[in-house]
Amino acid sequence: MALKSITVALALTAGLALAAGAALAHEGHQGPPPKTPGGKAAWARHDNFKAQGAAFKAILDELKKDQPDQAVLTTNANKLKGTSTALPSWFPKGSGPESGVKTDAKAEVWTDAAGFAAASNKLQVEVSKFQQLATAGDVAGMKAQSRVVGGSCKGCHDKYRVPEKK
Amino acid sequence: MADGGAVGAGATVRARLWDGPTRLVHWTLVILLGFSWWSAETDHLQWHRWSGYWVVGLVAFRLVWGFAGSASARFAGFVKGPAATLAYLKSLPRRTHDVVPGHNPLGAWSVLAILLILVTQTVTGLFAVDIDAFAAGPLSDRVDFDTGRLFAKWHHWSFTALQVLVVLHLVAVAFYLVYKRANLIGPMITGYNRFKTDPGLVFAPLWRAAVATVVAAGFAWWVSKGFRM
Repeated sequence: MALKSITVALALTAGLALAAGAALAHEGHQGPPPKTPGGKAAWARHDNFKAQGAAFKAILDELKKDQPDQAVLTTNANKLKGTSTALPSWFPKGSGPESGVKTDAKAEVWTDAAGFAAASNKLQVEVSKFQQLATAGDVAGMKAQSRVVGGSCKGCHDKYRVPEKK
Repeated sequence: MADGGAVGAGATVRARLWDGPTRLVHWTLVILLGFSWWSAETDHLQWHRWSGYWVVGLVAFRLVWGFAGSASARFAGFVKGPAATLAYLKSLPRRTHDVVPGHNPLGAWSVLAILLILVTQTVTGLFAVDIDAFAAGPLSDRVDFDTGRLFAKWHHWSFTALQVLVVLHLVAVAFYLVYKRANLIGPMITGYNRFKTDPGLVFAPLWRAAVATVVAAGFAWWVSKGFRM
């Protein structure tokens, strides 16, 4: 029984991980939508950040290819420009942990408003450069700048987002 | 969980138990698990990825070696059914230690469990995407952002399972050392153990280890490239 069961078990694990990934593709909200303005804002913010992450990922995936599709790069760089510009408006007062909605935004977003403004401004500046490179069709420049954009995402997350459990 | 040694009366013949590749895989995995943990905690994701590719290669090698390696490394040789496992389990409280030249039936399941969770750990890591979308596994471009984030979550859960298995492994090794007076650590370092009679294990030739290394390394390299040439 031994050989067969090992092979089956190994194949099953790998298969399960893949199948589960496809089936549970959406890591959505939990519970009913909130009714308070703060709760609604936190809820919308979650979706907005996911859209922003998806746009950035689409660019990174495209940059990995031998012949990146120019249209994919510019479309998503424009999206990123839009989300990063709007980002400060996703954090109205009352949409923090006190909103009652599960949020990873730390209270420091509001208590250290100046620091948060500087961090989001850094993102906007770097995304603007990124978008200009996309419009110019400069793939090599985009690859280099993608690190800087990723760094400015991380810079803000490290300070103003509840760290992930590792 | 190696089993091989009784220090008891009559265990006087010094004989080879574990071959070089098996020991090297074991200790390299120990180092890489520590390094992977540290590099993840400290956000050195590029190093973390490299460490992961090495783990992929080592696990691939161990799986090949489990079918084509030396007698004490082959799954067919040490994986036993539930009856044998239960019988061995019943003998555990006895302080005397029966010499098994290789993994005992219980330890065999531990080996399989650790290998299984290592496969899960590397597979989930290959598809995982970090919060900022920037740090990501080499296969993450096959899935969307949400799915990649889910894989990252599973990567964390799977690591917790791995930690539990490692602790269990260490507890077992300590149990054999203290309760049964059998040192399993030494043979995993030197490759030799003392037996009542030479078990006469068959060891795989070096060229076979070389072939398995090339296969495993090639596979790990291919994975690191996201299955693109």
